[in-house]
Amino acid sequence: MNNDEKERHTFDGMEPVVKSVSVKKPQSFFGERPLTAIEMAPRVLRYQSRRDFLVFGAGALAALAGAGFVLPQQTLSRMGMPRNMDSPGKERFLNKALRIDDDVAEALYSGTRRVPTYTKSQITSLKNNYNGATPDPSYITGWNLTLSGLASGLSISLDIRNLLTRFSVHEQITRLVCVEGWSGIAWWAGLKFDDLLRAYPPMSQAKWARVESSVNLDASGNPDPYFMSLDLATARHRQTLLATHVNGQPLTLDHGAPLRLLVPVKLGLKNVKAITSITYVAEEPRDYWAERGYSRYDGI
Amino acid sequence: MSQSTPPNCEPNSTSTPEQPGVLVVRKHHFLVRWSHWLNLPILLGLILSGISIYWASPIYQHRQDPNTGNADVAADIGIWICAHVPGQHHYSSPPDWIYNHMSLGPGMLALALRLHWSCAYLFMLNGIVYVAGLVMGGAWRSLLPRRTDLLDALRMFRYYLGFPLAKLARRQWLHPRFNTKYNALQRAAYFSVSVAGFVSVATGWSIHKPMQLHWLAELFGGYNAARVWHFWLMWVYFLFVVPHVILVFADGWDTLRSMIVGWSTRAARSEVIAK
Repeated sequence: MNNDEKERHTFDGMEPVVKSVSVKKPQSFFGERPLTAIEMAPRVLRYQSRRDFLVFGAGALAALAGAGFVLPQQTLSRMGMPRNMDSPGKERFLNKALRIDDDVAEALYSGTRRVPTYTKSQITSLKNNYNGATPDPSYITGWNLTLSGLASGLSISLDIRNLLTRFSVHEQITRLVCVEGWSGIAWWAGLKFDDLLRAYPPMSQAKWARVESSVNLDASGNPDPYFMSLDLATARHRQTLLATHVNGQPLTLDHGAPLRLLVPVKLGLKNVKAITSITYVAEEPRDYWAERGYSRYDGI
Repeated sequence: MSQSTPPNCEPNSTSTPEQPGVLVVRKHHFLVRWSHWLNLPILLGLILSGISIYWASPIYQHRQDPNTGNADVAADIGIWICAHVPGQHHYSSPPDWIYNHMSLGPGMLALALRLHWSCAYLFMLNGIVYVAGLVMGGAWRSLLPRRTDLLDALRMFRYYLGFPLAKLARRQWLHPRFNTKYNALQRAAYFSVSVAGFVSVATGWSIHKPMQLHWLAELFGGYNAARVWHFWLMWVYFLFVVPHVILVFADGWDTLRSMIVGWSTRAARSEVIAK
Protein backbone atom coordinates (compact mmCIF):
# COMPACT_ATOMS: atom_id res chain seq x y z
CA MET A 1 0.00 0.00 0.00
CA ASN A 2 1.67 3.17 -1.07
CA ASN A 3 0.77 6.75 -0.27
CA ASP A 4 -1.01 7.13 -3.51
CA GLU A 5 -3.54 4.41 -2.72
CA LYS A 6 -4.21 5.73 0.77
CA GLU A 7 -5.05 9.14 -0.46
CA ARG A 8 -7.93 7.85 -2.53
CA HIS A 9 -10.11 7.23 0.51
CA THR A 10 -11.11 10.80 0.53
CA PHE A 11 -10.78 11.60 -3.14
CA ASP A 12 -14.07 11.59 -4.91
CA GLY A 13 -13.06 13.79 -7.82
CA MET A 14 -11.98 12.46 -11.15
CA GLU A 15 -8.42 12.16 -12.29
CA PRO A 16 -7.28 15.76 -12.50
CA VAL A 17 -5.77 17.11 -15.65
CA VAL A 18 -3.74 20.28 -15.64
CA LYS A 19 -5.22 22.75 -18.06
CA SER A 20 -2.23 22.80 -20.39
CA VAL A 21 -2.56 19.07 -21.02
CA SER A 22 -4.95 18.39 -23.85
CA VAL A 23 -7.37 15.49 -23.67
CA LYS A 24 -6.10 12.64 -25.74
CA LYS A 25 -9.03 10.75 -27.14
CA PRO A 26 -12.09 12.47 -28.63
CA GLN A 27 -15.04 12.43 -26.23
CA SER A 28 -18.56 11.36 -27.03
CA PHE A 29 -21.19 14.03 -26.53
CA PHE A 30 -22.56 12.32 -23.43
CA GLY A 31 -19.18 11.24 -22.08
CA GLU A 32 -18.04 12.82 -18.83
CA ARG A 33 -15.25 15.37 -19.26
CA PRO A 34 -12.42 15.45 -16.73
CA LEU A 35 -12.40 18.41 -14.37
CA THR A 36 -9.61 20.78 -15.18
CA ALA A 37 -7.27 21.70 -12.38
CA ILE A 38 -6.08 25.28 -12.34
CA GLU A 39 -3.47 26.95 -10.24
CA MET A 40 -4.68 29.89 -8.17
CA ALA A 41 -2.84 32.32 -5.95
CA PRO A 42 -3.86 31.66 -2.31
CA ARG A 43 -4.65 35.35 -1.88
CA VAL A 44 -7.17 35.26 -4.73
CA LEU A 45 -8.74 32.05 -3.43
CA ARG A 46 -9.09 33.57 0.02
CA TYR A 47 -10.68 36.68 -1.41
CA GLN A 48 -13.13 34.69 -3.54
CA SER A 49 -14.07 32.39 -0.65
CA ARG A 50 -14.68 35.31 1.67
CA ARG A 51 -16.86 36.96 -0.94
CA ASP A 52 -18.85 33.78 -1.62
CA PHE A 53 -19.37 33.03 2.07
CA LEU A 54 -20.60 36.59 2.68
CA VAL A 55 -22.96 36.47 -0.30
CA PHE A 56 -24.38 33.04 0.58
CA GLY A 57 -24.64 34.06 4.24
CA ALA A 58 -26.60 37.14 3.22
CA GLY A 59 -28.80 34.87 1.10
CA ALA A 60 -29.46 32.62 4.10
CA LEU A 61 -30.41 35.64 6.23
CA ALA A 62 -32.69 36.90 3.47
CA ALA A 63 -34.36 33.48 3.28
CA LEU A 64 -34.93 33.51 7.05
CA ALA A 65 -36.39 37.01 6.89
CA GLY A 66 -38.56 35.96 3.96
CA ALA A 67 -39.85 32.94 5.90
CA GLY A 68 -40.66 35.18 8.87
CA PHE A 69 -42.51 37.46 6.49
CA VAL A 70 -44.71 34.86 4.77
CA LEU A 71 -45.28 32.23 7.49
CA PRO A 72 -48.65 32.32 9.26
CA GLN A 73 -48.68 33.94 12.70
CA GLN A 74 -49.94 30.70 14.29
CA THR A 75 -46.88 28.84 13.01
CA LEU A 76 -44.49 31.57 14.15
CA SER A 77 -46.06 31.71 17.62
CA ARG A 78 -45.63 27.96 17.94
CA MET A 79 -41.98 28.34 17.05
CA GLY A 80 -41.60 30.81 19.91
CA MET A 81 -41.96 34.09 18.02
CA PRO A 82 -44.03 36.16 20.44
CA ARG A 83 -44.37 39.29 18.32
CA ASN A 84 -47.20 39.61 15.85
CA MET A 85 -45.55 39.52 12.43
CA ASP A 86 -48.75 39.76 10.41
CA SER A 87 -48.62 42.63 7.99
CA PRO A 88 -50.75 43.89 5.10
CA GLY A 89 -47.68 43.34 2.91
CA LYS A 90 -47.86 39.60 3.60
CA GLU A 91 -51.49 39.43 2.50
CA ARG A 92 -50.66 41.43 -0.61
CA PHE A 93 -47.72 39.17 -1.44
CA LEU A 94 -49.69 35.95 -1.01
CA ASN A 95 -52.68 37.32 -2.91
CA LYS A 96 -50.34 38.29 -5.73
CA ALA A 97 -49.06 34.71 -5.87
CA LEU A 98 -52.67 33.55 -5.98
CA ARG A 99 -53.48 35.94 -8.83
CA ILE A 100 -50.57 34.55 -10.85
CA ASP A 101 -51.87 31.05 -10.28
CA ASP A 102 -55.38 32.15 -11.29
CA ASP A 103 -54.01 33.70 -14.48
CA VAL A 104 -52.24 30.43 -15.26
CA ALA A 105 -55.49 28.54 -14.65
CA GLU A 106 -57.35 30.91 -16.95
CA ALA A 107 -54.71 30.49 -19.65
CA LEU A 108 -55.01 26.70 -19.37
CA TYR A 109 -58.80 26.80 -19.71
CA SER A 110 -60.25 25.92 -23.06
CA GLY A 111 -63.93 26.38 -23.86
CA THR A 112 -63.87 23.39 -26.17
CA ARG A 113 -61.92 20.94 -24.01
CA ARG A 114 -64.25 18.47 -22.33
CA VAL A 115 -63.55 17.07 -18.89
CA PRO A 116 -63.24 13.27 -18.61
CA THR A 117 -66.49 11.38 -18.28
CA TYR A 118 -66.91 8.06 -16.51
CA THR A 119 -69.10 4.97 -16.65
CA LYS A 120 -71.85 4.21 -14.14
CA SER A 121 -69.68 1.54 -12.52
CA GLN A 122 -67.13 4.24 -11.63
CA ILE A 123 -69.61 6.31 -9.62
CA THR A 124 -68.38 6.94 -6.07
CA SER A 125 -70.05 8.24 -2.97
CA LEU A 126 -70.26 12.00 -2.69
CA LYS A 127 -70.20 13.56 0.72
CA ASN A 128 -72.33 16.47 1.83
CA ASN A 129 -69.79 19.19 2.30
CA TYR A 130 -72.07 22.08 3.20
CA ASN A 131 -69.60 24.21 5.12
CA GLY A 132 -72.27 25.10 7.66
CA ALA A 133 -75.44 23.34 8.72
CA THR A 134 -77.54 21.70 6.02
CA PRO A 135 -80.59 23.96 5.45
CA ASP A 136 -84.05 23.00 6.61
CA PRO A 137 -86.05 21.46 3.72
CA SER A 138 -88.87 23.99 4.17
CA TYR A 139 -87.27 26.27 1.56
CA ILE A 140 -87.92 23.75 -1.22
CA THR A 141 -91.64 24.39 -1.42
CA GLY A 142 -92.03 27.80 -2.96
CA TRP A 143 -88.46 27.75 -4.29
CA ASN A 144 -87.76 30.13 -7.17
CA LEU A 145 -84.74 30.97 -9.27
CA THR A 146 -84.40 34.71 -9.85
CA LEU A 147 -82.50 35.88 -12.94
CA SER A 148 -81.38 39.49 -13.15
CA GLY A 149 -78.94 41.59 -15.15
CA LEU A 150 -80.68 40.42 -18.30
CA ALA A 151 -80.65 42.10 -21.71
CA SER A 152 -84.38 42.72 -21.34
CA GLY A 153 -83.71 44.73 -18.18
CA LEU A 154 -86.27 42.61 -16.37
CA SER A 155 -85.94 40.30 -13.43
CA ILE A 156 -87.30 36.85 -14.08
CA SER A 157 -88.47 34.28 -11.60
CA LEU A 158 -88.57 30.63 -12.58
CA ASP A 159 -89.83 27.67 -10.60
CA ILE A 160 -88.52 24.14 -11.00
CA ARG A 161 -91.42 23.14 -13.30
CA ASN A 162 -90.57 25.98 -15.70
CA LEU A 163 -86.97 24.86 -15.78
CA LEU A 164 -87.73 21.18 -16.28
CA THR A 165 -90.31 21.71 -19.03
CA ARG A 166 -88.63 24.53 -20.97
CA PHE A 167 -85.17 23.04 -21.27
CA SER A 168 -83.82 19.77 -22.58
CA VAL A 169 -82.12 17.53 -20.05
CA HIS A 170 -78.44 16.66 -20.35
CA GLU A 171 -76.65 13.94 -18.47
CA GLN A 172 -73.03 13.44 -17.60
CA ILE A 173 -70.94 11.34 -15.24
CA THR A 174 -68.13 13.60 -14.12
CA ARG A 175 -65.77 14.13 -11.24
CA LEU A 176 -66.29 16.86 -8.68
CA VAL A 177 -62.97 17.93 -7.11
CA CYS A 178 -62.91 19.66 -3.73
CA VAL A 179 -60.28 22.24 -2.79
CA GLU A 180 -59.60 20.01 0.23
CA GLY A 181 -58.27 17.29 -2.08
CA TRP A 182 -61.03 14.65 -2.11
CA SER A 183 -63.19 14.08 -5.14
CA GLY A 184 -66.31 12.17 -6.14
CA ILE A 185 -67.76 10.85 -9.35
CA ALA A 186 -71.53 11.17 -9.80
CA TRP A 187 -74.11 10.93 -12.56
CA TRP A 188 -75.67 14.34 -12.96
CA ALA A 189 -78.63 15.50 -15.02
CA GLY A 190 -80.02 18.96 -15.61
CA LEU A 191 -80.15 21.79 -18.07
CA LYS A 192 -77.14 23.38 -19.65
CA PHE A 193 -76.22 26.76 -18.22
CA ASP A 194 -75.58 27.76 -21.84
CA ASP A 195 -79.22 26.98 -22.74
CA LEU A 196 -80.40 29.24 -19.92
CA LEU A 197 -78.06 31.99 -21.20
CA ARG A 198 -79.57 31.63 -24.68
CA ALA A 199 -83.16 31.64 -23.42
CA TYR A 200 -82.61 34.62 -21.12
CA PRO A 201 -79.63 36.50 -22.57
CA PRO A 202 -77.63 38.61 -20.14
CA MET A 203 -77.06 42.31 -20.74
CA SER A 204 -74.42 42.92 -23.41
CA GLN A 205 -71.66 44.19 -21.11
CA ALA A 206 -72.01 41.24 -18.70
CA LYS A 207 -68.86 39.17 -18.24
CA TRP A 208 -69.70 37.49 -14.95
CA ALA A 209 -72.47 35.69 -13.16
CA ARG A 210 -73.02 36.06 -9.46
CA VAL A 211 -74.56 32.77 -8.34
CA GLU A 212 -76.16 32.89 -4.92
CA SER A 213 -77.87 30.63 -2.44
CA SER A 214 -79.78 32.64 0.12
CA VAL A 215 -80.76 29.52 2.08
CA ASN A 216 -77.16 28.69 3.05
CA LEU A 217 -76.49 28.45 6.80
CA ASP A 218 -73.39 28.88 8.90
CA ALA A 219 -72.14 26.22 11.31
CA SER A 220 -74.49 27.31 14.08
CA GLY A 221 -77.49 27.31 11.75
CA ASN A 222 -77.84 31.05 11.18
CA PRO A 223 -78.49 32.42 7.68
CA ASP A 224 -75.20 32.86 5.81
CA PRO A 225 -75.90 33.58 2.12
CA TYR A 226 -73.42 31.86 -0.18
CA PHE A 227 -72.37 33.84 -3.23
CA MET A 228 -69.90 32.95 -5.89
CA SER A 229 -68.42 34.52 -9.00
CA LEU A 230 -68.46 32.62 -12.27
CA ASP A 231 -67.00 33.94 -15.51
CA LEU A 232 -69.45 33.61 -18.40
CA ALA A 233 -66.86 31.77 -20.52
CA THR A 234 -67.03 28.93 -17.99
CA ALA A 235 -70.82 29.21 -17.68
CA ARG A 236 -71.03 28.60 -21.44
CA HIS A 237 -68.89 25.43 -21.26
CA ARG A 238 -71.01 22.56 -22.55
CA GLN A 239 -70.46 20.50 -19.40
CA THR A 240 -71.59 23.28 -17.08
CA LEU A 241 -75.03 22.22 -15.88
CA LEU A 242 -77.75 23.54 -13.64
CA ALA A 243 -78.32 20.10 -12.18
CA THR A 244 -81.69 18.86 -10.98
CA HIS A 245 -80.87 15.17 -10.62
CA VAL A 246 -78.05 13.08 -9.25
CA ASN A 247 -77.58 9.35 -9.81
CA GLY A 248 -81.03 9.10 -11.45
CA GLN A 249 -82.94 10.74 -8.58
CA PRO A 250 -84.00 14.33 -7.95
CA LEU A 251 -81.37 16.20 -5.93
CA THR A 252 -81.57 15.49 -2.23
CA LEU A 253 -81.35 18.17 0.42
CA ASP A 254 -77.68 17.24 1.00
CA HIS A 255 -76.82 17.93 -2.60
CA GLY A 256 -78.67 21.21 -3.01
CA ALA A 257 -82.26 20.42 -4.00
CA PRO A 258 -83.90 21.50 -6.19
CA LEU A 259 -81.20 23.11 -8.36
CA ARG A 260 -77.46 23.28 -8.03
CA LEU A 261 -74.63 24.44 -10.22
CA LEU A 262 -72.43 21.69 -11.62
CA VAL A 263 -69.29 23.15 -13.11
CA PRO A 264 -66.71 20.34 -13.32
CA VAL A 265 -63.96 22.66 -14.66
CA LYS A 266 -64.01 24.48 -11.30
CA LEU A 267 -63.34 23.40 -7.74
CA GLY A 268 -66.30 22.05 -5.78
CA LEU A 269 -66.71 25.29 -3.87
CA LYS A 270 -67.95 26.97 -7.07
CA ASN A 271 -70.67 24.31 -7.47
CA VAL A 272 -73.29 26.25 -5.53
CA LYS A 273 -76.08 24.16 -3.98
CA ALA A 274 -79.71 25.29 -3.75
CA ILE A 275 -79.21 28.26 -6.08
CA THR A 276 -81.76 31.01 -5.50
CA SER A 277 -80.51 33.72 -7.83
CA ILE A 278 -78.21 34.33 -10.77
CA THR A 279 -77.21 37.92 -11.52
CA TYR A 280 -75.22 38.91 -14.61
CA VAL A 281 -72.74 41.71 -14.03
CA ALA A 282 -69.94 43.47 -15.91
CA GLU A 283 -67.39 43.55 -13.07
CA GLU A 284 -66.13 40.53 -11.17
CA PRO A 285 -68.57 40.04 -8.30
CA ARG A 286 -67.68 39.13 -4.70
CA ASP A 287 -66.90 35.53 -3.93
CA TYR A 288 -67.56 33.82 -0.59
CA TRP A 289 -64.35 31.78 -0.46
CA ALA A 290 -62.11 34.38 -2.13
CA GLU A 291 -62.98 36.60 0.84
CA ARG A 292 -61.74 33.82 3.07
CA GLY A 293 -58.29 33.53 1.48
CA TYR A 294 -58.96 31.08 -1.35
CA SER A 295 -58.46 31.87 -5.03
CA ARG A 296 -61.26 33.48 -7.02
CA TYR A 297 -60.98 31.81 -10.41
CA ASP A 298 -60.65 28.22 -9.12
CA GLY A 299 -60.26 26.67 -12.55
CA ILE A 300 -58.99 23.11 -12.44
CA MET B 1 -19.21 32.36 -15.62
CA SER B 2 -19.21 35.28 -13.26
CA GLN B 3 -15.93 34.60 -11.58
CA SER B 4 -13.37 34.06 -14.27
CA THR B 5 -9.81 33.72 -13.16
CA PRO B 6 -8.28 37.13 -12.50
CA PRO B 7 -5.43 37.91 -14.92
CA ASN B 8 -2.77 37.78 -12.24
CA CYS B 9 -3.43 34.13 -11.46
CA GLU B 10 -3.61 32.51 -14.85
CA PRO B 11 -2.14 29.02 -14.79
CA ASN B 12 1.66 29.07 -14.89
CA SER B 13 1.77 32.71 -13.86
CA THR B 14 2.54 31.89 -10.22
CA SER B 15 4.95 29.35 -8.73
CA THR B 16 7.06 32.10 -7.27
CA PRO B 17 8.91 30.62 -4.30
CA GLU B 18 7.33 32.93 -1.69
CA GLN B 19 3.73 32.34 -2.79
CA PRO B 20 3.13 28.93 -4.36
CA GLY B 21 -0.15 28.57 -6.27
CA VAL B 22 -2.90 26.26 -5.08
CA LEU B 23 -4.25 23.69 -7.50
CA VAL B 24 -8.04 23.69 -7.53
CA VAL B 25 -10.78 22.24 -9.70
CA ARG B 26 -14.00 24.04 -10.46
CA LYS B 27 -16.67 21.66 -9.24
CA HIS B 28 -19.97 23.54 -9.28
CA HIS B 29 -21.23 26.30 -11.54
CA PHE B 30 -22.53 29.24 -9.53
CA LEU B 31 -26.10 28.70 -10.79
CA VAL B 32 -25.91 25.11 -9.55
CA ARG B 33 -24.70 26.33 -6.15
CA TRP B 34 -27.45 28.93 -5.84
CA SER B 35 -30.23 26.58 -6.88
CA HIS B 36 -28.82 23.90 -4.58
CA TRP B 37 -29.16 26.12 -1.50
CA LEU B 38 -32.43 27.70 -2.61
CA ASN B 39 -33.94 24.21 -2.61
CA LEU B 40 -33.58 24.18 1.16
CA PRO B 41 -36.12 26.93 2.05
CA ILE B 42 -38.32 26.17 -0.97
CA LEU B 43 -38.64 22.45 -0.28
CA LEU B 44 -39.14 23.13 3.41
CA GLY B 45 -41.95 25.54 2.53
CA LEU B 46 -43.47 23.02 0.13
CA ILE B 47 -43.37 20.18 2.65
CA LEU B 48 -44.68 22.21 5.60
CA SER B 49 -47.53 23.72 3.59
CA GLY B 50 -48.09 20.39 1.83
CA ILE B 51 -48.72 18.57 5.11
CA SER B 52 -51.08 21.39 6.13
CA ILE B 53 -52.97 20.76 2.89
CA TYR B 54 -52.91 17.01 3.55
CA TRP B 55 -54.66 17.70 6.88
CA ALA B 56 -57.79 18.92 5.02
CA SER B 57 -58.30 15.55 3.35
CA PRO B 58 -55.86 12.84 4.44
CA ILE B 59 -55.22 10.07 1.92
CA TYR B 60 -54.89 7.48 4.67
CA GLN B 61 -58.03 7.26 6.76
CA HIS B 62 -59.80 4.56 8.74
CA ARG B 63 -63.24 4.24 10.25
CA GLN B 64 -63.86 7.03 12.73
CA ASP B 65 -62.59 6.16 16.21
CA PRO B 66 -65.55 6.37 18.64
CA ASN B 67 -63.31 7.66 21.46
CA THR B 68 -61.34 10.34 19.68
CA GLY B 69 -63.59 11.05 16.70
CA ASN B 70 -60.49 10.72 14.56
CA ALA B 71 -60.21 8.97 11.20
CA ASP B 72 -56.79 10.21 10.09
CA VAL B 73 -53.87 7.78 10.31
CA ALA B 74 -51.37 10.66 10.57
CA ALA B 75 -53.29 12.11 13.52
CA ASP B 76 -53.14 8.65 15.16
CA ILE B 77 -49.36 8.96 15.27
CA GLY B 78 -49.71 12.24 17.16
CA ILE B 79 -52.23 10.68 19.54
CA TRP B 80 -49.81 7.80 20.16
CA ILE B 81 -46.93 10.22 20.79
CA CYS B 82 -49.01 12.22 23.29
CA ALA B 83 -49.92 9.01 25.11
CA HIS B 84 -46.46 7.46 25.22
CA VAL B 85 -43.77 10.13 24.97
CA PRO B 86 -42.82 11.67 28.31
CA GLY B 87 -43.55 15.37 28.53
CA GLN B 88 -46.34 15.22 25.95
CA HIS B 89 -49.08 13.77 28.20
CA HIS B 90 -50.75 17.10 28.77
CA TYR B 91 -50.74 18.18 25.12
CA SER B 92 -54.00 20.04 24.61
CA SER B 93 -55.03 18.49 21.30
CA PRO B 94 -53.35 15.15 20.56
CA PRO B 95 -54.88 14.73 17.05
CA ASP B 96 -53.25 18.04 16.11
CA TRP B 97 -49.82 17.07 17.46
CA ILE B 98 -48.45 15.78 14.18
CA TYR B 99 -49.73 18.81 12.23
CA ASN B 100 -48.47 21.24 14.88
CA HIS B 101 -45.01 19.71 14.65
CA MET B 102 -44.69 18.60 11.03
CA SER B 103 -46.57 21.30 9.14
CA LEU B 104 -47.58 24.95 9.27
CA GLY B 105 -50.45 23.79 11.41
CA PRO B 106 -53.95 22.34 11.13
CA GLY B 107 -56.96 24.36 9.99
CA MET B 108 -55.20 26.77 7.69
CA LEU B 109 -55.94 25.33 4.26
CA ALA B 110 -56.36 28.67 2.45
CA LEU B 111 -53.03 29.97 3.71
CA ALA B 112 -51.24 26.68 3.14
CA LEU B 113 -52.49 26.57 -0.45
CA ARG B 114 -51.30 30.10 -1.14
CA LEU B 115 -47.87 29.31 0.30
CA HIS B 116 -47.74 26.00 -1.57
CA TRP B 117 -48.40 27.69 -4.91
CA SER B 118 -45.85 30.44 -4.17
CA CYS B 119 -43.20 27.86 -3.29
CA ALA B 120 -44.19 25.63 -6.21
CA TYR B 121 -43.63 28.41 -8.75
CA LEU B 122 -40.29 29.22 -7.09
CA PHE B 123 -39.39 25.51 -7.15
CA MET B 124 -40.06 25.31 -10.90
CA LEU B 125 -38.02 28.48 -11.54
CA ASN B 126 -35.25 27.07 -9.37
CA GLY B 127 -35.32 23.83 -11.35
CA ILE B 128 -34.80 25.81 -14.55
CA VAL B 129 -31.87 27.66 -12.92
CA TYR B 130 -30.38 24.31 -11.85
CA VAL B 131 -30.64 22.82 -15.33
CA ALA B 132 -29.20 26.02 -16.82
CA GLY B 133 -26.26 25.78 -14.41
CA LEU B 134 -25.72 22.12 -15.30
CA VAL B 135 -25.70 22.92 -19.00
CA MET B 136 -23.51 26.03 -18.72
CA GLY B 137 -21.00 24.31 -16.44
CA GLY B 138 -21.12 21.04 -18.40
CA ALA B 139 -21.77 19.14 -15.17
CA TRP B 140 -24.86 17.39 -16.55
CA ARG B 141 -22.55 14.79 -18.10
CA SER B 142 -21.32 13.79 -14.64
CA LEU B 143 -24.88 13.03 -13.54
CA LEU B 144 -25.87 10.70 -16.37
CA PRO B 145 -26.32 7.06 -15.33
CA ARG B 146 -23.84 4.56 -16.79
CA ARG B 147 -24.10 0.89 -17.65
CA THR B 148 -21.66 -0.01 -14.86
CA ASP B 149 -23.59 1.98 -12.23
CA LEU B 150 -25.56 -0.81 -10.64
CA LEU B 151 -22.51 -2.85 -9.70
CA ASP B 152 -20.49 0.22 -8.72
CA ALA B 153 -23.34 1.55 -6.59
CA LEU B 154 -23.47 -1.76 -4.74
CA ARG B 155 -19.72 -1.51 -4.11
CA MET B 156 -20.19 1.98 -2.69
CA PHE B 157 -23.08 0.79 -0.57
CA ARG B 158 -20.94 -2.00 0.82
CA TYR B 159 -18.21 0.55 1.56
CA TYR B 160 -20.55 2.86 3.47
CA LEU B 161 -22.05 -0.04 5.42
CA GLY B 162 -18.66 -1.46 6.36
CA PHE B 163 -16.99 1.87 7.09
CA PRO B 164 -18.19 2.34 10.70
CA LEU B 165 -17.39 -1.29 11.55
CA ALA B 166 -13.94 -1.03 10.03
CA LYS B 167 -13.34 2.17 11.99
CA LEU B 168 -14.33 0.43 15.23
CA ALA B 169 -12.12 -2.55 14.43
CA ARG B 170 -9.32 -0.15 13.42
CA ARG B 171 -9.10 -1.98 10.15
CA GLN B 172 -8.27 -0.37 6.89
CA TRP B 173 -11.34 -0.03 4.68
CA LEU B 174 -10.59 1.16 1.18
CA HIS B 175 -12.82 3.54 -0.70
CA PRO B 176 -13.68 2.00 -4.06
CA ARG B 177 -11.80 3.74 -6.83
CA PHE B 178 -13.67 5.85 -9.34
CA ASN B 179 -12.40 7.80 -12.25
CA THR B 180 -15.38 10.15 -12.33
CA LYS B 181 -16.58 13.30 -10.55
CA TYR B 182 -19.11 11.33 -8.53
CA ASN B 183 -19.20 7.71 -7.46
CA ALA B 184 -22.02 5.56 -8.79
CA LEU B 185 -24.12 5.88 -5.63
CA GLN B 186 -23.80 9.66 -5.60
CA ARG B 187 -24.68 9.80 -9.26
CA ALA B 188 -27.74 7.63 -8.72
CA ALA B 189 -28.81 9.82 -5.79
CA TYR B 190 -28.31 13.17 -7.52
CA PHE B 191 -29.88 11.94 -10.75
CA SER B 192 -32.92 10.39 -9.09
CA VAL B 193 -33.58 13.31 -6.76
CA SER B 194 -33.64 15.59 -9.81
CA VAL B 195 -36.08 13.18 -11.47
CA ALA B 196 -38.13 13.18 -8.25
CA GLY B 197 -38.25 16.98 -8.41
CA PHE B 198 -39.53 16.80 -11.95
CA VAL B 199 -42.14 14.12 -11.13
CA SER B 200 -43.24 16.09 -8.05
CA VAL B 201 -43.92 19.06 -10.28
CA ALA B 202 -45.73 16.89 -12.84
CA THR B 203 -47.92 15.16 -10.22
CA GLY B 204 -48.51 18.55 -8.59
CA TRP B 205 -49.85 19.96 -11.84
CA SER B 206 -51.99 16.89 -12.41
CA ILE B 207 -53.65 17.37 -9.00
CA HIS B 208 -53.86 21.12 -9.40
CA LYS B 209 -55.47 21.04 -12.86
CA PRO B 210 -57.09 17.58 -13.10
CA MET B 211 -59.53 18.73 -15.79
CA GLN B 212 -57.42 20.84 -18.16
CA LEU B 213 -54.43 18.52 -17.70
CA HIS B 214 -56.39 15.28 -17.26
CA TRP B 215 -54.00 13.45 -19.59
CA LEU B 216 -51.26 14.15 -17.04
CA ALA B 217 -53.36 12.75 -14.19
CA GLU B 218 -54.11 9.68 -16.32
CA LEU B 219 -50.36 9.19 -16.78
CA PHE B 220 -50.13 8.67 -13.02
CA GLY B 221 -53.22 6.46 -12.88
CA GLY B 222 -55.88 9.11 -12.34
CA TYR B 223 -56.49 11.98 -9.96
CA ASN B 224 -56.52 9.98 -6.72
CA ALA B 225 -53.43 7.99 -7.65
CA ALA B 226 -51.62 11.21 -8.57
CA ARG B 227 -52.29 12.51 -5.04
CA VAL B 228 -50.72 9.36 -3.61
CA TRP B 229 -47.70 9.76 -5.92
CA HIS B 230 -47.34 13.39 -4.88
CA PHE B 231 -47.49 12.44 -1.20
CA TRP B 232 -44.91 9.66 -1.41
CA LEU B 233 -42.54 11.72 -3.54
CA MET B 234 -42.17 13.99 -0.53
CA TRP B 235 -40.55 11.08 1.30
CA VAL B 236 -37.96 10.73 -1.48
CA TYR B 237 -36.54 14.07 -0.33
CA PHE B 238 -36.24 12.84 3.26
CA LEU B 239 -34.71 9.61 2.01
CA PHE B 240 -32.21 11.68 0.04
CA VAL B 241 -31.48 14.47 2.49
CA VAL B 242 -30.65 12.39 5.57
CA PRO B 243 -27.73 10.38 4.10
CA HIS B 244 -26.80 13.40 1.93
CA VAL B 245 -26.17 15.60 4.96
CA ILE B 246 -24.49 12.83 6.97
CA LEU B 247 -22.14 12.00 4.09
CA VAL B 248 -21.26 15.62 3.39
CA PHE B 249 -20.15 16.08 6.97
CA ALA B 250 -18.38 12.72 6.95
CA ASP B 251 -16.63 13.61 3.72
CA GLY B 252 -15.26 16.84 5.10
CA TRP B 253 -15.04 20.57 4.81
CA ASP B 254 -13.80 20.67 1.24
CA THR B 255 -16.98 19.04 -0.10
CA LEU B 256 -19.29 21.33 1.87
CA ARG B 257 -17.26 24.41 0.96
CA SER B 258 -17.24 23.52 -2.72
CA MET B 259 -21.03 23.93 -2.80
CA ILE B 260 -20.53 27.53 -1.62
CA VAL B 261 -17.35 28.63 -3.36
CA GLY B 262 -17.50 26.29 -6.34
CA TRP B 263 -13.93 24.98 -6.23
CA SER B 264 -12.30 22.07 -4.50
CA THR B 265 -8.70 21.39 -3.61
CA ARG B 266 -9.22 17.64 -3.60
CA ALA B 267 -8.07 16.99 -7.13
CA ALA B 268 -5.19 19.36 -6.68
CA ARG B 269 -3.89 17.53 -3.64
CA SER B 270 -4.07 14.25 -5.42
CA GLU B 271 -2.36 15.77 -8.42
CA VAL B 272 0.53 16.92 -6.25
CA ILE B 273 0.82 13.45 -4.77
CA ALA B 274 0.63 11.85 -8.16
CA LYS B 275 3.59 13.91 -9.34
